[in-house]
Amino acid sequence: MMSGGALLLGDARLPTGGHTQSAGLEPALLTGLSPASIPGFIVSRLRTCVRVDAGTAVVGLRLLYAGAPLDPVVDAWCARTPSEVVQAASIEAGRGYLRLHQRLTGFATATPALPRPLAVAALAHSWDLSAAELARIICHDDVQSVCSAALKLTPCDPVDTVSWAVAAGDEADRVVTEVQGLDDPDDIPAAAAPEMELWQHAHGNASRRLFRA
Amino acid sequence: MPETPTRAMRLGIAGPVGTGKSSLIGLLCSRLTDRLQLGVVTNDIYTDEDARLLRSAGVLDPDRIRAVETGACPHTAIRDDITMNSIAIEDLERDYPGLQLVLVESGGDNLTATFSPALVDAQIFVLDVAGGGDVVRKGGPGIARADLLIVNKTDLAPYVDVDAARMVQEGTAARDGRPVIGLSRLDTKSVSAVCDWVLATLASYDAGTHTAHDPGPMAAHSHTQ
Repeated sequence: MMSGGALLLGDARLPTGGHTQSAGLEPALLTGLSPASIPGFIVSRLRTCVRVDAGTAVVGLRLLYAGAPLDPVVDAWCARTPSEVVQAASIEAGRGYLRLHQRLTGFATATPALPRPLAVAALAHSWDLSAAELARIICHDDVQSVCSAALKLTPCDPVDTVSWAVAAGDEADRVVTEVQGLDDPDDIPAAAAPEMELWQHAHGNASRRLFRA
Repeated sequence: MPETPTRAMRLGIAGPVGTGKSSLIGLLCSRLTDRLQLGVVTNDIYTDEDARLLRSAGVLDPDRIRAVETGACPHTAIRDDITMNSIAIEDLERDYPGLQLVLVESGGDNLTATFSPALVDAQIFVLDVAGGGDVVRKGGPGIARADLLIVNKTDLAPYVDVDAARMVQEGTAARDGRPVIGLSRLDTKSVSAVCDWVLATLASYDAGTHTAHDPGPMAAHSHTQ
């Protein structure tokens, strides 16, 4: 059964500024990705950057439960997320979680900024989540960020976006299975999607954007 | 003794698209920058257009003007999930110790968007004569209960066939005595009236006697015969 904390983290109504994020969809559409390709875009993310983020979050959670510093896992995530623009966007999104965490529990990290997966992991730690729950949340949030942003950027029947999320379920299951046991930063998946990352890299200079990233 | 605040007052500027929110902020910055430590946060529906306009106007150090994207959710960003705006304001306060007033511009949307009192201490709702003389009568939480209602661009009234004085009068009637100012940037008296209101509100905030309140969601209303 999902814990209450896991449900909160999986709920877009949690006040962390999630509505400002498109999980790379707006940059992709601005570059010319066809809306018909969005289901494939979702799975491509699950196979690449979401795997990295989910693995990062799980290893971060283990380090937090062990009372160990997060620096090695921050380094591992940075090595797998080369664009400084994409890094900054993730750190900015992470601040929403850190601010919520700080307001709720007084949590203050020695690292002034954490990428989003580790900011989520820190809340997951406070709320006693399991590694599998956390990995599931990282996948779910990414898929749903794309789906809800699609309704703003290239409107369609919202039922269609639910069907995309359902169809991505098997790939999300594979991510959870693959990363839930990780405890070493070196073992975090290192799959990359350079073209998608380049699209996101350019988003900082986009002149008419609705979403931060 | 009322408790005195330890941070800058946050003043929200809401109102429909094109009514002059950015211009009002530009005006306030140019008039108040010598007297106050100011910061600005803009919430554009599309990117950082408003922030760029204000930066290029040269009325304030560009670094004191921060833009927040709202993911096409301008209501959410100022009302139910204020996270990104709060972070932008807190960053300004961290970067500029001694900041006294932060102006937060909503992404211009429609008549129903108002700020949460968790985000701003006071708010101005801006209408303009070009939007039509009947807008005030249509009402809404911002028109009825924002701390100040501005009827902007009164100098245009003759060209759009609107009676600006009557619009101000109807606004006053709809607001149970809360203040209304008819503003034209060409009318120095009206500009001073707005600046005076901001300074008086800030003084009350600094003295710990100002209370932030919610103009409310769309009010229930009835049509009587």
